[in-house]
Amino acid sequence: MGLKATARKNAIHALLVYSGGCNGCDIEVVNAVFSPRYDIEQYRILLTWNPREADVLIVTGAITWAMKEPLQRIYELIPEPKAVLAVGSCAINGCVFRNLVGDIKHNPEVFAPLEKIIPVDIKVPGCPPRPEDIIMAAVKGVPKLMAAP
Amino acid sequence: MTEEQPRESVIVEKELPLGPVHPALLEPFRVRFFVNDEIVEDCEVILSMPHRGIERILEGLPVERALLITERVCGICSNSHAWNSVRVIEKGLNIEVPPRALFIRVIAQELQRIASHLIFIGHAMEVVGHETFAMRAFLLREEYMDMLYFIGGNRVHPAVPVIGGVRPRCEISDSLKRVILETLERSERKLRNYVGRVVADPLVMGRLTGVGYLSKEDAIRLHAVGPTARASGVEWDWRMEMFEYKPFTYDYVILYEGDNKARVIARALEIFECIKIVRQALKDLPEGPVVNRDWSPQRMKFTDSYNEAPRGELYHSYSLDDYGKLRHYKIRTPTITSIHSVEFAAKGDHVTDAVVTIASCDPCLACCNRVEIIDEKSGRRRQFTSMIEVIKKYGWRR
Ligand code: SF4
Repeated sequence: MGLKATARKNAIHALLVYSGGCNGCDIEVVNAVFSPRYDIEQYRILLTWNPREADVLIVTGAITWAMKEPLQRIYELIPEPKAVLAVGSCAINGCVFRNLVGDIKHNPEVFAPLEKIIPVDIKVPGCPPRPEDIIMAAVKGVPKLMAAP
Repeated sequence: MTEEQPRESVIVEKELPLGPVHPALLEPFRVRFFVNDEIVEDCEVILSMPHRGIERILEGLPVERALLITERVCGICSNSHAWNSVRVIEKGLNIEVPPRALFIRVIAQELQRIASHLIFIGHAMEVVGHETFAMRAFLLREEYMDMLYFIGGNRVHPAVPVIGGVRPRCEISDSLKRVILETLERSERKLRNYVGRVVADPLVMGRLTGVGYLSKEDAIRLHAVGPTARASGVEWDWRMEMFEYKPFTYDYVILYEGDNKARVIARALEIFECIKIVRQALKDLPEGPVVNRDWSPQRMKFTDSYNEAPRGELYHSYSLDDYGKLRHYKIRTPTITSIHSVEFAAKGDHVTDAVVTIASCDPCLACCNRVEIIDEKSGRRRQFTSMIEVIKKYGWRR
């Protein structure tokens, strides 16, 4: 393993972008990081708020009009190599906001799934997924980062 | 921007935008501080980032399925949304709810209220900069999430209420009752210890005391609700009105300081009152069925219902057409009304303190659908709770 890969492996920075879901997934991700019971930092994954430092982008929520462009901009700002985690059924398929609509057959406010906007590497299903699942997914994203030159 | 002053005199040149993605905010909303040498002169919170059109997609759904969406309005106080949406139809069609179901709903609601207040304390401590306290709060919260998980099978969306009672899965058995009582016992001791240490910490309290003052008159005028208002001395809690809470004895936390410290402490003290309610509810849990299926969707005229969510007054209302489909669903969440009062309270403080003030009303913005108007002269946008507020502020002409 080269010097770069070793350095990367020892400090993986995750950026959380909440793009308009119900907050549940958001809290669970923060929980996975903050709560000493789960403590994602034991796997050397840290939460950051600076896209320039980030390696893993965690996206939760169905993508709304107002958050679509900031999300694309943030994705472009993150340097290569990067991994994208879609957490929660909102980001994966739009959850109830897309699939359970009344008279208007199609909800124009949400842009879910996330795949249509930025490429997704890992999907964590659940509404919301348990923190254990989120941690497992974040740890699975590491090999992809390592494989890059 | 008060009514007496001419608008031109308060527009300041320097603007400090925060968000939509920012560490102090967690949720996507934009705050614009108009600053004059570090002192906030005007502050504006832009809410409509997570607009998902919930009220629109609810239109025309069968009423039973609406519960899936109303619960997902907010992930922190999901039970109060679900509960309030079934209260509307129970009130409108006079559906009788078994007493055991009412008690279980109260238990779920109070457990979630504790979890929500602990998130708030954790978040406030994080914004203040004390990460150890923040992590402690999240650790304490885990026990309450576990209890919700035992009751409903999901940590965030336990889906306890259904129309006419609670889901049969959420029945509280004797063993679960014992588990909850034991956990409460254990965690109450920890909580007392934790809250005592937060309140005694001179660094944290130094950041909070006397900052972001909101007087009682302003709290009433700007329609602050919930703990934000109660920390300013407004003696109002929707639980006083709800018949579900009549069997329990507990206190309302009303503080008169009206600063950030009071807003943190009001929530911290409320946690212990919630524990009291859960204990009493478990002790006199009535026997009997948990759900009454004896109802059918039919025409219902416009009915509304208020509920005390963790953040304050929550309003749901809808009517049903002949086929039992939803019409005119309207939701008003507590943050929308409270946020204007903290906008007001943040003025005159340093920027760093203003961020704490914004966080201190416990903003939970997963639910926003507002009017937006653009001031033609300055090009600034403002969002309002209702048309009434627009009219009050700018007159009919705008
Ligand atoms: S997946 Fe479920 S919990 Fe997560 S943001 Fe969407 S509605 Fe909320």
